[in-house]
Amino acid sequence: MDAVVLQNVTKRFDSIVAVRDLSLRVRQGAVFGLLGPNGAGKTTTLRMIMRILLPDEGSIEVFGEPASDRTQDLIGYLPEERGLYPRMKVREVLVFLAGLKGLSEKEATRRIHQWLERLDLAPWAEKRVNDLSKGMQQKAQFIATVVHKPSLLILDEPFTGLDPVNAGLIKDLMLELREQGSTIILSTHRMEQVELMCDSICLINKGQSVLDGDLRAIKQSFGKNTVRIEYSGDGDFLNQPALIENLNHFGAVVEAKLRPGADPQEILRLAVARGVRITRFELVEPPLNDIFIQKVSETHA
Amino acid sequence: MRKIWLVMKREYLARVRTRSFIIGTVAFPLMMIGVIALPAILLRHQSAHTLKITILDQTGEMAARVTQGLDQKLPNGEPAYQVVKTVQEPSDEDEEKLRAELRAQVNQGKLDGFLVIPKAVLEGDSATFHTRNPGDLEFAGAVRSAVREAAIAERLEERGLQIDNVRDLVGGVEVTLVKVTKEGEVEEKGQTLATALVMMVVLYVTLLVYGLATLRSVLEEKTTRMSEVLVSSLRAFHLLVGKLLGVAAAGFTQYLIWTISAALVAAYGGLVASAVRPGSSIPHIVLPISTLVYLIIFYLGGYFLYASLYAAAGAMVSSDEDAQQVQMPLTVLVLLGYMMFIVVMRNPNSTLSIVLSMIPFFAPILMVLRIVLQTPPLWQIALSIGLIVLTTTGILYVSAKIYRVGILMYGKRPSVVELWRWLRYT
Repeated sequence: MDAVVLQNVTKRFDSIVAVRDLSLRVRQGAVFGLLGPNGAGKTTTLRMIMRILLPDEGSIEVFGEPASDRTQDLIGYLPEERGLYPRMKVREVLVFLAGLKGLSEKEATRRIHQWLERLDLAPWAEKRVNDLSKGMQQKAQFIATVVHKPSLLILDEPFTGLDPVNAGLIKDLMLELREQGSTIILSTHRMEQVELMCDSICLINKGQSVLDGDLRAIKQSFGKNTVRIEYSGDGDFLNQPALIENLNHFGAVVEAKLRPGADPQEILRLAVARGVRITRFELVEPPLNDIFIQKVSETHA
Repeated sequence: MRKIWLVMKREYLARVRTRSFIIGTVAFPLMMIGVIALPAILLRHQSAHTLKITILDQTGEMAARVTQGLDQKLPNGEPAYQVVKTVQEPSDEDEEKLRAELRAQVNQGKLDGFLVIPKAVLEGDSATFHTRNPGDLEFAGAVRSAVREAAIAERLEERGLQIDNVRDLVGGVEVTLVKVTKEGEVEEKGQTLATALVMMVVLYVTLLVYGLATLRSVLEEKTTRMSEVLVSSLRAFHLLVGKLLGVAAAGFTQYLIWTISAALVAAYGGLVASAVRPGSSIPHIVLPISTLVYLIIFYLGGYFLYASLYAAAGAMVSSDEDAQQVQMPLTVLVLLGYMMFIVVMRNPNSTLSIVLSMIPFFAPILMVLRIVLQTPPLWQIALSIGLIVLTTTGILYVSAKIYRVGILMYGKRPSVVELWRWLRYT
């Protein structure tokens, strides 16, 4: 069974089509990346899965049943714009939100106590949300998202505003929840995280799916058309517009995207001919970042 | 239902814990007690002393009678007023000088006032009383009636009647008002008016205060970005209903506290007042149970009507500045209903009053006023309630649509055209 299935979903706001004929499947137990440039329709799509918005056309299923008030309780949603009642106590606001997800007050209190301990927030339980730092508020919000043990977790930019330590903590918790069987939909602009965490992705642009499927398969389908090079000496040998479509400098490493049909051997030959010392020369799959940019600019054209 | 209950509970607790709620709840009864007790206390502690006046009498005949008319005693037995000097028929020159002198004395505090009686006072020229403190109504009143009585005595004498004590002659004959109701007759001592006014002010203030509280609550959820988290757990409509109920419950709590303290004041306030100052009483506020029930029904109707509108207004905006603008028309609407009380008070059963008290936006205030003044036929009350319920349902339906879209919208305030589009979103 799939965790989420969207079939030919369309959502309009006046004359603007926010999501157009979008179909996608999220396998149960997967970490699914929903990607796209700003304004692509990601948030609208997530809100429709959450049943905050209703689609104009098409259907949405969550764990095999049409999205409803009941499926809402199976999902934990961390919106991009975070917020907790600033004047309420941390424990109170969390018990309230857990109650809205169907937990009894007693059960909610017990679990929240554990979570607060775990995220080092226990001393702050009786403090007002206002008195917490931004990072602590983020962690409290994460507790609100997961406290009812949701089968599906929808996280919109979960790492923004977190320092590396806390970002790592949240990442570990996400993976732990997946171990326990939760499905995760991750919406983010940070491609390196998607590459590290996601099994499958859907890239949408202007409300339409432009790329979707298993991440490994997608990368393979783009072929090993990128050369990762480490060298010392004059970098002039890379100045080959006939062979190289695009260059990405990362300081120590250069990634060169080859033109279709270009022979990587040719670049190696040119480097050797100019006396450049090569310490690494590797044919790799394109980074997701490049795929993203390529796909998005294609659909813009 | 459980979710609505949770939202309601949270909203209620958030309201009643605010400082403004506690202050408002406690301050109002204290104010009422103050209004009753303070004048009595102040009057009691007023340092009573004999007030000195001088009379400039151009007629040469009136001064003696006026002096006689001012013969009153303070509670401690001292004379209340003392005419220190009387000047009969001064020449114009002298009078100019005298007046300047008397003004100086008044300013120095040696004299409390001086009275000028013109020659043609009996023909209608007005006497003038010069004092530093025209706010002392008792003083001015005493002088005024002394002059009047003196003038009356003069006129009677001109017609050949010799009267020693005019006050006995012109002494009042009371007309007691009796209010006729279906239940019988009640002596009217201003309690109907007092009750009507108090109820109207309470309704007006609470409709505004709790309407605005609803707006603030919606706006706060928007600005703190709570809205999206909430609607990912329950329907926007349920959230709205829970919120309205929560604020209503807070209002109800306040009403309850006020009613109880009002009842206590009614029961014991008179005792307090007469203990502080023997003989004083308070205007009795009479609130039969049926009226109280109507008050609650109309308050709730009016509250849900206006609060739904205020909630929609709050959902439309995302800043305090814009909130000020959108709440204006609603506040004016409440105020309008309040201001039309004069029409209804004059004639509670005129066609205009009946029509006004049927308009759902005004009915909460005006129908209650009519019920207090002159209970209208039951069908009119029922129709008015029915219309409020219908209108509120319609408004709640439209407001919920605006609310649902609005709480996720940020930035510019929507135009009317945009609002119309919001209503048609699925």
